Amino acid sequence: MAQSIRSDHAPRSVPRLSGPGSARERLRTFIRRHKLAPYLLLAPALIGIALVLLWPLAQVAIYSFQNYGLAQITGVLPTQWVGFANFSTTFTDPEFWLSLRNSVLFAVVAVPLNLLVGTIVGLLLNRLGKKMSIFVSTAALLAWATPPVSASVLFYWMFNPDGGIVDWALARMPHWLVGSTDWAGYNWATNGPVQAYTMIAILVIWQAFPFVAVTLLAGLKTIPAELTEAARVDGAGPWRVFRRITFPLLKPIYLVLLLLSVIWDFNIFTQSYIIISLGNQNEYNLSMYIYDKAFGFPPSYGLGGALALIFALILLVVTVGYVRASIRQGALT
Amino acid sequence: MTFTRSAAALGVAVALAGTAAGIAGCGSASPSSSASSAPAKLVVWRMGGSVPSQVTWMNGVVAQFHKQYPQYSKTKVVVDWIPWGNRTTDWTNALTSGKGGPDITELGNTDTPGVASQGALANITSSVHSWSDGSQIIPGNLANDTVNGKVYAVPWFGGVRGIWYNKNQFAAAGITSPPTTWAQLVSDAKALMKKFPGTYGLGAPSDYTNAIVSFIWGAGGQVAVKQNGKWVAELNSPQSEAGIKFYADLYLTDHVSPAKYIGETELGTVGATSGGSNEDFALGKLDMYIDGPWAESQLAAVSTKNESQWASFPIPSENGPNPAPAFAGGSDLGVWVNSKYKTADFDLIKVMDSPANATTFANSQGFFPEFTSALSGGAYSGSAIMSGFAKAAAYTQISPLNSKNWATADATDNIIPDMMKALMQGANFTATVNKANTEMQNVLNTGSES
Repeated sequence: MAQSIRSDHAPRSVPRLSGPGSARERLRTFIRRHKLAPYLLLAPALIGIALVLLWPLAQVAIYSFQNYGLAQITGVLPTQWVGFANFSTTFTDPEFWLSLRNSVLFAVVAVPLNLLVGTIVGLLLNRLGKKMSIFVSTAALLAWATPPVSASVLFYWMFNPDGGIVDWALARMPHWLVGSTDWAGYNWATNGPVQAYTMIAILVIWQAFPFVAVTLLAGLKTIPAELTEAARVDGAGPWRVFRRITFPLLKPIYLVLLLLSVIWDFNIFTQSYIIISLGNQNEYNLSMYIYDKAFGFPPSYGLGGALALIFALILLVVTVGYVRASIRQGALT
Repeated sequence: MTFTRSAAALGVAVALAGTAAGIAGCGSASPSSSASSAPAKLVVWRMGGSVPSQVTWMNGVVAQFHKQYPQYSKTKVVVDWIPWGNRTTDWTNALTSGKGGPDITELGNTDTPGVASQGALANITSSVHSWSDGSQIIPGNLANDTVNGKVYAVPWFGGVRGIWYNKNQFAAAGITSPPTTWAQLVSDAKALMKKFPGTYGLGAPSDYTNAIVSFIWGAGGQVAVKQNGKWVAELNSPQSEAGIKFYADLYLTDHVSPAKYIGETELGTVGATSGGSNEDFALGKLDMYIDGPWAESQLAAVSTKNESQWASFPIPSENGPNPAPAFAGGSDLGVWVNSKYKTADFDLIKVMDSPANATTFANSQGFFPEFTSALSGGAYSGSAIMSGFAKAAAYTQISPLNSKNWATADATDNIIPDMMKALMQGANFTATVNKANTEMQNVLNTGSES
């Protein structure tokens, strides 16, 4: 990039409204001497973040060491400090580990699939002509832009045992192809975590791959055509070109996409809440488990706070790992 | 690549904020001030969906209320309809914000002890004791609304589950009288399936605690019993296990219930208000369906084709001849803790729950009134649908479904639904029931149970 953005000279002589010894002038000198201007400019945003993010976060941390719930709000029972009781309750609850397992396995399967589908579509978009490329990317972005609630309801109906199109179609296929299960009334949402998350994985990937594809497309456009051409002349096939040239050059973008996908797929709640619905506890993921514990009746904000902190810490580990990897290979410069 | 860093930071911030902000954000409720005389309006929370006959009934009640209590002649009564699945969320939101709550709320009778112990309901002990009609209420049901000697709600109507069937279908399959033992129930279900290919004999949704308990009780078992002030879970007693196994086997070995009901309530997906076995019975795809008489309006909304043939019989016990004890469900009316007009609230409750009005209401909706006088006599034997339920109503049980922690055990931790779902999906019987039993005992004994 050209380094020519140097035209932001402030006018040197500002018309003075007051004398050099005035309070206003002294304040100005103070700010300049201590280099406070950047902090002052940041202050409004920081105050905003502190109010809407840091204070709730502190509250959650406080609750997590209390027995805080509905009876404490209505004043029937006193609020008490309970030490690490909420955390030990969580860690000794087998349902917690089951939910964690569901969340981790889902992310392990969905993230690579998402990146794979996104990559294939991204490469395709890069090679398509202008009209077709616009058509494909518009179609993909419509999936991305569909609100998750609408998309979840749509999938819920498609996979419904009472006349959903997927069950209907499977029931009409020959047994040698789809097995002898009674597909006509097959309940994907409640039959078990594997079935439910298969359905959710299709939904989540369908909605998330366009972002991957378009982001990669932007990266692909920056790769000089000479590089791939030279590789082809040297006899490299498409796979080799991708592995030796495209992927290494796009690695920083892949890292971002990986991190974001992990966070998103680990976090999914809307889709699982609508499709699985509360009550099928063996299919809960971590977010549903937290919701059920925090807001089920009677609600326990203490337990919910502890869970939210645990959840945030897990995501923090992912992030720290990512930042370390990025620094090591010089992406963050 | 500065893009990388800022995008990453944004992603992390958004993720963390989402996690944290979801939990916080609960204000505190301000203590209420009571004893104003003439409110401009009273808000009543009713559960379920608005039905024309209920609106008509309520209009009549309000007219009586204005007439009997001239001081409230300008008071507007507003009814808000709360779907059953949203009730605990709505109560919680009203309590945590201290705003938007009702003056009077309907509660499921199993909700009352738990909701009262969370401080949501006003103590109405003295009002109930000075209420002349109050002495006629079935004593056991009023005891259900009493926590630590204080009364928090009054029973309004009751109901029991039985088994719905189609009289024509029974006749066609050669079934002359409804089954009174489990063996007959299964053989009848199979006979119906044989006669009507493509249908299922008897729906057994796994998320249906209030019906499953009838089978546990019907074999002489108990969910939990109280010994020396502590709950002892008995799901793994031989009798309880017989009932649990029978229900699971309706799907597993008898194949009279379809796989799709696993993980469903009687109304389909958890939280849904229609669908599942209810819809299938109305459409004739299911031959026998477990539910209460109140299901009639939902069934008729799906299809009225077979309505004239619908009838009921009580859930059989293991070896007959008496029915299995049915869970005594029903609704209560309570005064909201934050209401400013607690006197007016109870005056309105007295009109809604007068023996005459409560009986009219119950009869119109397929329930039974909570007054001993209204239940005696043969008022219900003439109706095909109600007669079976009236028989079942003579054999009821409610404990431990009215214990303080039952909401946690059933609605939050889903102990019995989870157990039944796992069993139907082929989990080891003894291990699964033992696990549920341990969990049940722990949850029921959480906190200070008195």
